[in-house]
Amino acid sequence: MAEALLLVEDISAGYHGQPVLKQVSLAIPAGSVTMVVGPNGHGKTTLLRCISGLVPLAGGTIRLAGARIDGIRADRIVAAGVVHIPQGDLPFPEMSVADNLLMGAWLPPARAAASRRLEEIYALLPRLAERHRQMASTLSGGERRMLAIGRGLMAGGRILLVDEPSLGLAPIVIEHIYDILQGLKAEGRTLLLVEENLSRAAEIADDVHLLDDGRMVWQGEADALLERPEIFATYLGA
Amino acid sequence: MDTFIQILASGITLGAMYAVGTIGLSLVWGALRMLNMAHGVLIAAGGYMAWQAIAGWGLSAPLGLVAAMAAGALLGAAIYWLAARFMFRNEAFENNIIIVTFGLAIALENGILKVFGGYPLAQPFGLEEGFRLGAVHVPWKNVLVVAVSVATMAAMAWFLARTRMGRAIRATAQNRDAAQLMGVAIGSVFAQVLAIAGALAALSGVLLSSITTLSPQVGFDPMLKAFIICVIAGLGNVMGALYAAFAMGLFEAAVQFFLGVRFALPLMLLLVILALIWRPYGVFGRREVRRL
Repeated sequence: MAEALLLVEDISAGYHGQPVLKQVSLAIPAGSVTMVVGPNGHGKTTLLRCISGLVPLAGGTIRLAGARIDGIRADRIVAAGVVHIPQGDLPFPEMSVADNLLMGAWLPPARAAASRRLEEIYALLPRLAERHRQMASTLSGGERRMLAIGRGLMAGGRILLVDEPSLGLAPIVIEHIYDILQGLKAEGRTLLLVEENLSRAAEIADDVHLLDDGRMVWQGEADALLERPEIFATYLGA
Repeated sequence: MDTFIQILASGITLGAMYAVGTIGLSLVWGALRMLNMAHGVLIAAGGYMAWQAIAGWGLSAPLGLVAAMAAGALLGAAIYWLAARFMFRNEAFENNIIIVTFGLAIALENGILKVFGGYPLAQPFGLEEGFRLGAVHVPWKNVLVVAVSVATMAAMAWFLARTRMGRAIRATAQNRDAAQLMGVAIGSVFAQVLAIAGALAALSGVLLSSITTLSPQVGFDPMLKAFIICVIAGLGNVMGALYAAFAMGLFEAAVQFFLGVRFALPLMLLLVILALIWRPYGVFGRREVRRL
């Protein structure tokens, strides 16, 4: 296996003293698409929040290209090249679509290329171009997800963490979002996707990790997981 | 008609002063979820700094204003560096910071008492004259208060809407985690917000003491009114606070004129109670929905 761009080793973390992640390890090679699947509430989002510095670790280490990034401030982790597209509603509801996208290019390297990137994002996601002056709070669920992805792409970065890209969206919007993710893969970008559902994501993932009750219980290629119906039944309820 | 002009002139002057005093408080709540109990003493400190600069060091009034705002900004930033930065990641921050800033307020107020004494001082501005509007005498000082206040509000609106730092403050206020994920150093944003709020409180102190007198407790009443305005407007809603400040200034002037001075504060507090019952998220606020 190629040397890992992101290396998560034995991390543990939780909230209010309650453990959520229990000695989780993960290695993500540069240029690969890694997917973490698992039941709802078993630590997938917490894993991404630990990597991006929003949740402190109780143990373990996280390295980006060999340099430790655990224990440093979230904004410095972004500066190091970790871009996190979080789950849930849109982050800056009282800002216009354009201002939200420009927030993605906050740090100096991205800021220098902000105008060019904004045009690229508008070409990729024309719906955002149509609504660029509109307050983000007035967007539909699918448009908000596109905005979150567009904002993440504005930042550039060395690895993109995407939390539940398809959650609660109409099938046509999911298709569009996965087409974008497929395009990023084709460009050689490194992606870490968290999903509850394998059906579409497995088509672009190189490697799949199954997280159950805060522990990694299975790891392998996406095709191998698709051929294991008993794992689906046990962990994913499918 | 003269009654209307009198109420309008007094109300707009009061509203202008309240607006400058309230923006900072509202901004700090919006960005940090922090009720700054030292806001009142920052108002007093601004007034005393201007007095010291003009009467003590012989500087001009504009330089006195600048010195007051610089002192307020430094004190505001000091609140972050000495207290808030150690606490804002703590879950009990919203409660703990009230106690901490209350303690800082007592210490600062006693410091002012020690240095300047307790006797009321007059702010050494000129502008004793005024002009007549119908039968109503309008002092130039009041016009100056309104002009400075309006200019400050316009500058703040421009700053928040158009500048990079303003965008960082709005982003942090709207979603702290997301702001960090964009690379915003929220600690720096908090320090900047407290410094700006300190400068605005100090400016408010200069304006207030230019039409009343200066004492160590001069900031208490404006801070109370600023809290009232913030609650009515919706905590953290800066634009709403501006509208509410002028509305409350006019309301207070009308109550003082028709019912007497002593009824103004109780009736303002009654408005707060009504606002909390009718719209607990503020007249200009939005219902907060937290997704878990």
